[in-house]
Amino acid sequence: MQKLFSLPSLIVIALLIVGLPFLQRPVVAAEVLTLGIAAVATNLLLGYTGMLSFGQALFFGVGAYCAGILATRYGISAFLAIPVAMLFSAVIAFLIGLVCVRRSGLYFIMITFAFNQMVFFIAYSWTTMTGGEDGLPGVRRPPLIDDQWSFYVFTVLVFICALCVMKLFVDSPTGRILQAIRDNPGRAAATGHDVGRYKLIAFVMAGMFTGLAGAIFAFVFGIVPIDKVDWRFSGDIVFMTLLGGSGSFIGPVIGAAFYTWLQETVSHYWDRWPMILGIVFALVVLFFRTGVAGMAEFLTGKLTQKGAAAKPKEMEAGS
Amino acid sequence: MTFLIASQLLNGLATGMLYALVGVGLTLVLGMLNIPNFAHGGLYAFGAYFTYTVVNLTGSFYLAVLIGPLLVILVAFLIESQGVRRLYAAHHDYQLLFLFAMALILQEAIILIWGPVGFSVLTPKALSGVVNLGFTVYPAYRLALIGMTVLITVALWLFLTRTNVGAIVRAGMENREMVAVLGTDINRVFMWTFALGAYLAGLAGALATPIMGLTPSMGADMLPISFVIVVIAGLGSILGAIASGILIGVAQSLTTIWWPEASNIAIYVLMGLTIILRPQGLFGTR
Amino acid sequence: MTTGLECISVSKHFGAVKAVNDVSFEVPPGALHTVIGPNGAGKTTLFNCITSELKPTSGEVRFEGHVISGRKTHELPAFGVARSFQRTSIFSNLTVAQNVWVSAFRAFAGTRVEVLRPADAHPEVTETIYQTLEEVGLDRYANSPATELAHGDQRLLDFAIALAPKPKLLLLDEPTAGLSRSDTQRVMHLIESLKGRYTIVLIEHKMDVVMRISDRITVMYFGEVLAEGTPQEIRANPKVREAYLGRRA
Repeated sequence: MQKLFSLPSLIVIALLIVGLPFLQRPVVAAEVLTLGIAAVATNLLLGYTGMLSFGQALFFGVGAYCAGILATRYGISAFLAIPVAMLFSAVIAFLIGLVCVRRSGLYFIMITFAFNQMVFFIAYSWTTMTGGEDGLPGVRRPPLIDDQWSFYVFTVLVFICALCVMKLFVDSPTGRILQAIRDNPGRAAATGHDVGRYKLIAFVMAGMFTGLAGAIFAFVFGIVPIDKVDWRFSGDIVFMTLLGGSGSFIGPVIGAAFYTWLQETVSHYWDRWPMILGIVFALVVLFFRTGVAGMAEFLTGKLTQKGAAAKPKEMEAGS
Repeated sequence: MTFLIASQLLNGLATGMLYALVGVGLTLVLGMLNIPNFAHGGLYAFGAYFTYTVVNLTGSFYLAVLIGPLLVILVAFLIESQGVRRLYAAHHDYQLLFLFAMALILQEAIILIWGPVGFSVLTPKALSGVVNLGFTVYPAYRLALIGMTVLITVALWLFLTRTNVGAIVRAGMENREMVAVLGTDINRVFMWTFALGAYLAGLAGALATPIMGLTPSMGADMLPISFVIVVIAGLGSILGAIASGILIGVAQSLTTIWWPEASNIAIYVLMGLTIILRPQGLFGTR
Repeated sequence: MTTGLECISVSKHFGAVKAVNDVSFEVPPGALHTVIGPNGAGKTTLFNCITSELKPTSGEVRFEGHVISGRKTHELPAFGVARSFQRTSIFSNLTVAQNVWVSAFRAFAGTRVEVLRPADAHPEVTETIYQTLEEVGLDRYANSPATELAHGDQRLLDFAIALAPKPKLLLLDEPTAGLSRSDTQRVMHLIESLKGRYTIVLIEHKMDVVMRISDRITVMYFGEVLAEGTPQEIRANPKVREAYLGRRA
């Protein structure tokens, strides 16, 4: 039976899960895990399939609003609202993916951007459902997980399950075919794989799990803020992925942790913390494209497995 | 009702001309670098804010409109030389992401320098007040704005079609490898095209100040619209960007009469439909 | 009786340019047919029509009686068609074995989408991969990243990807392009070992190679068939001489 996660990955995950709620408040630690799911999911598109999408905030928002509305308007418990929201995100991802995934490169970026904006303005205008600009407040957790710690444990469980499912996915034949498509879509097609269909699968997986992340997020702070559907958040998610390392499966979680640290901790000291975010992003793109995970791998060098070549990859010149 | 429609039409024309300037600036960079410049909105905002400062320092709006966009070119040079240029060898998605990071930095920089509160800029005396057009009265400034942008677009068109430099820029947009092979220093062409695109964005920002005021988020608000413009126009079509900008401005103004919320969603639906049904846009060549 | 590959009046026009004009030939099962011609003769365009990268303006291509032209690229392997590429086309971030897996798995699983088991969970696929690598001589590099291979070895990997699904028709686009003399020899030995077991269509420039291994040759010139025949017939054909060497005074 093949190991699902390598030892270094397991250590990082364990450290994060155990350490976060003590470094931050448990509710912020929950936020990190939530964004971590979204970042890992986005990397399914970026690192594994080579698709840069500027629409992931769309799915985060869809998941969040769906779960939030089910909970506030219809009194549905989180335990049901979250899976339903995840499924709903999958359906939306399928429909949007049908028109998006066959566009390449620039057009794919622009059309995911366009859809993102559509959903943003729907959320902005449909104030009766979504609360518009002010967001959707009053999302209550079920009594079982209402206090900080039990909710954190709940989030950890969902986080681990989500990561396991996504890891199984990338290790599967489908996951490897996606990587082949990333490396050489023409050859992948010539060997008989329907590239459009596989890209759609990746898009739905990414959208579905980002929707799951959004759905949990609604219960983290009890509110769905509209900025989580903004195109800028789509960029933020991509950057979390890059910062953590798009060449690694769990690298993006590190990016999510850093992003949340800036947003929740640094923001107390300096209102202009987004400036730091922007500068870090710029530096990552210019000098540290492999991200934290890539650098760690570089530094530990020989300690990593030899020949374990099939893994996500940061984008390379000429591709 | 006709009065309302007529005045909204003219309003739409004014904002449309601004959109056209922004759109052309973006098209130049998009055609050359093949990436959407996420920092374009930030450059537009800087144009507005530089103008505001010069107005405060000199009291002259005209001087500010002259100098402000030139200062934006300086910002653009910095971005291009320190960032974009370093990434030419890398996958072009990285250039895109760098510009996205710059958008963030530019917006925060505005707040750092000028503060988080919005401003307004007074219309210059000679252009304030209204003009009687017969069927309606119309703000003089907006009329002047339409006139100014027409002149600017004509000048730009002449530059691109009648000068050698302009020809090189257009060639670079079509096929930059060929231009490089022909011996032109392609990096300098990039740099100047980027600067020109930034100048147009900054100029639009400067001219917009009396109508729209200034807020730190004005760049982030303008950026998505500029994307819609270039997509509907057809990536790489300058004339298309002008036409498309005007179209969007007028469409927005008119839908505000009947269904305000729809005007925002509608333009993105149009953008999506264009990519799906006619990816080369209304006027595009590729 | 099984037919092999049939090119039936294939034409491909780009506007007014007739890149390929009414080209026909037949390749019986197990034969090796080479298409040659000077630069610009339309060989590559014809090849692209056979591999379905381009749709013929008129005419069709059939294999074993099934029409294969005008289809989507990924539909061809189902008909037992495989191709290699002139500029080596491999999956640069996968290992050598994983490269071959991409086509071997497709042959094994068809269009089935598998998401639950690990990619290497099927011993039959692994067996096929190693058999193929042995055949091309790359088995000792199985777990190396594909990019670590030497240039000539990467070309062999390109072939291995084409061979793994045990296709019936092999389409090879200038298989020795850009290779050194020794690598060219290795590739030619490999192709010769494939003769008889596969139906092969080759585009090639190197005349010594062409004469040695072809059963039949089609010579193209300005988009049309100038001549077709055995290597001896072609060598003796004065029109062919003229096309390649120019008119003698």
